[in-house]
Amino acid sequence: MANTDKAGKSPKQQPAQGSTSAAGVTLPNGDNVSSEGLADNVFKIAGAVGVVALLASLGLGVSAGDDLAQFSFSYLVAYAFVLALGLGCLFWVTLQHLVNAHWSVVVRRLGELFAANMPLLALLSLPILIPIVMGNHALYVWTDHAKVEASHLLHGKAGYLNVGFFLGRMVFYFVFWSALSRFWLKRSVAQDLKPEAGVTRRWQGIAAPSMILVALTLTFSAIDLLMSLDAAWFSTMFGVYFFSGAFMSANCLLALAAMWLQGRGRLVKSVSVHHLHDLGKMTFGFVVFWAYIAFSQFMLIWYANIPEETAWYKVRFEGDWKYVAIFLLVGHFIVPFLGMMSKHVKRRRGALTAWTLWLLIMQYVDLYYLVQPTRLARVLEEAPAGEAVNATLPFHLLDLTCLLALVALFIAGAAFNARKKNLVPVNDPRLEKSLAFTNL
Amino acid sequence: MSTDNDKANDTGSAPLHGLLAEYDNPTALVRAAEKVRDAQYEHWDTYTPFPIHGMDPAMGIKPTVLPWIVFWAGLTGCVVGVGFQYWTSVIDYPWVISGKPFWSIAANVPIAFETTVLFSALTTLGAMLALNGLPHPSHPLDLKRRFAKVTDDRFFLLIEARDKKFDATDTRALLESTHPAVLDDVAEDRVTSDKLPTVILGALAVLTTLAILPFALAYKARVSKSDQPRIHLVPNMDNQPHIKAQQESPIFADLRGMRGDVPGTVAQGNLQEDDHLYRGKLEGGAWARTFPKEIAPSEQNMKRGEREFGIFCAPCHGLSGHGDGMIHERAAALGQGTWVQPTNLHQDYLRQQPVGELYNSITHGVRNMPGYGHQVSVEDRWNIILYMRALQRSTAAAPTDVPESERGALK
Repeated sequence: MANTDKAGKSPKQQPAQGSTSAAGVTLPNGDNVSSEGLADNVFKIAGAVGVVALLASLGLGVSAGDDLAQFSFSYLVAYAFVLALGLGCLFWVTLQHLVNAHWSVVVRRLGELFAANMPLLALLSLPILIPIVMGNHALYVWTDHAKVEASHLLHGKAGYLNVGFFLGRMVFYFVFWSALSRFWLKRSVAQDLKPEAGVTRRWQGIAAPSMILVALTLTFSAIDLLMSLDAAWFSTMFGVYFFSGAFMSANCLLALAAMWLQGRGRLVKSVSVHHLHDLGKMTFGFVVFWAYIAFSQFMLIWYANIPEETAWYKVRFEGDWKYVAIFLLVGHFIVPFLGMMSKHVKRRRGALTAWTLWLLIMQYVDLYYLVQPTRLARVLEEAPAGEAVNATLPFHLLDLTCLLALVALFIAGAAFNARKKNLVPVNDPRLEKSLAFTNL
Repeated sequence: MSTDNDKANDTGSAPLHGLLAEYDNPTALVRAAEKVRDAQYEHWDTYTPFPIHGMDPAMGIKPTVLPWIVFWAGLTGCVVGVGFQYWTSVIDYPWVISGKPFWSIAANVPIAFETTVLFSALTTLGAMLALNGLPHPSHPLDLKRRFAKVTDDRFFLLIEARDKKFDATDTRALLESTHPAVLDDVAEDRVTSDKLPTVILGALAVLTTLAILPFALAYKARVSKSDQPRIHLVPNMDNQPHIKAQQESPIFADLRGMRGDVPGTVAQGNLQEDDHLYRGKLEGGAWARTFPKEIAPSEQNMKRGEREFGIFCAPCHGLSGHGDGMIHERAAALGQGTWVQPTNLHQDYLRQQPVGELYNSITHGVRNMPGYGHQVSVEDRWNIILYMRALQRSTAAAPTDVPESERGALK
């Protein structure tokens, strides 16, 4: 630690010294790490696509005349997808600081840029939160006062699951996430301009308690936004389940972003095949971790066979949903597990691009599988016994438009954050080691 | 180039094993390794206190085959784990556990996972040792005093004399050109043997024998009888300080541990006034011939009855009710002569028997059959009878019982 900080003060490691702006810096290895000429264009294009798609989604949703039911569910899946990316990146950045990682310095700024989308994500949560405040009960049954009064179980949970406390928690999550992610980005950019001794150590100290809060807020936000869709059901593993997908997708996103930027002439020398290999390893590791957590949750519920727990899986094996379950097992674990195992796959850009894209799709399918069967569960609950219930997959145009809107806005947000900034923390004392990083 | 204190030299004429170059930093060693690699030597190696990044390419080491060995070992472990469970729970000793099917893949996953990890881990260790030619009880370098520093802060490179390209002067010149701190001859070791010591071999043999012992004892227990009381491995769980059924208790004057209900009271929800529903009897005490009004003969109740029949009745009476269930087949296979076959439910007297009497038999048991009243709810007992009536009908049905529309299929 002390060594790295001392090294940071030595002049040969301060390529940005003397330059008036942080952006437009060239690394000693001649690599272009500036966002100039790229961030603005991406922001404009992705932003326009996102706004148009969002407006189209809102229009479609309101005009559907189903009390926003289809819109709410489609939007929630897409929102959970981008929230997972943002939270995964926030966790990723905090983790690198916590363990004082050297290898990851060249890609850390990308993580900081994506994580710093938290204020945007807070804004994008409004289409979920505003209908709740306006008295719409399409998403969460526990927001319906009449149903809560009628159900002993919901009544018992009302101390936690009520609109006021829910909104309070949401505000707390987003204030914390925004503050932490903006802090990481702001301090890191400030270092680009003016290196400061001992800052690495201080960041590590901040990362430790932050990590605990990130873990807790991530867990409870998963419980609040996703698990409470079925307010009667509970799983103590649900938070970790959401985290496993979030962290995996964040690693996919970082690998894809780095390779995309390299295709545009940025980070070409800084991010080597060794860094991509490591991102691939993290992705692979969390593919396995996801399977471990998903199966652990399933097996305990399957074995204990207690009605209030199995109900959640029962509906997810109903009709077409069981094919989605099998597809998740195969597509989210078995195939990528075997496919990504070899180091040659993780070191080949084409293969790594294909696998990370595929896993991002599987992450969306996973969230779709968490959220959408809730509607079938509610239909089954209301339906008279013995009556056939339509258990086909509820695909809707809104699923696509919401996903397009939120992903485009998420990318636009990151590009907005990247304006006038370097894509690598050029004055980080660990940068030299990160550039020289090799990996068998 | 001093060889002071080197034991090998004391024996005089030991042949040359190789040339040892010593460096005081890893960079010098990597540079030297690149030179030796480019000179195309085959029998040479580097020795360092810690792994050095880039040493593999510097030495021109080909990627190891170890990952593939481990991959196939892991796959084997997975297949063995799943296969062994299939054999034990489906072929060798099928047994219903928690009402799950014999072959429940979800229950197999944790064990298959463990065997996968176990096989991979042990294979990694074993294959790594084998690929490296280990164990190596003796090596000429062990006799070099200076070489002990390899665990501290020195870096060594050894070119063996058996290499085809080895030449006393040329090889020395090559190593000299890498500027080693020290360059030294290494003599063959004639003092210590390269064989595994007999003590270790003996210990391995003893351990292997001991490892077989538990399996041998378990096998013996399978085929022999014993009068000894069973061994309590966890005595405080086996013998708990509470009153079991039929035991004495000093707390009560009559010393009976089991206590009846307090006279004149009924536990909540246990009033059970309806004779028809709860006891299968009509007013006056005759067996009811009709189902109670609470149990309508619906599709749902029939399905429920089928399920409960499968759980509680089928193990003895068989899924079709012919008295040929799994327990019967097992007992018949043992052939001990004391077994009475469970009742065939398709006999006439059972067809005629009032449903109330059947309900009574299920609740309290009949002949060898124990009562199931404490396990099966009242509604489910009636549902079982409903399903049983359907089963009985199935073996004594007339063509007129088939709906008009389906009758054509009978011909």
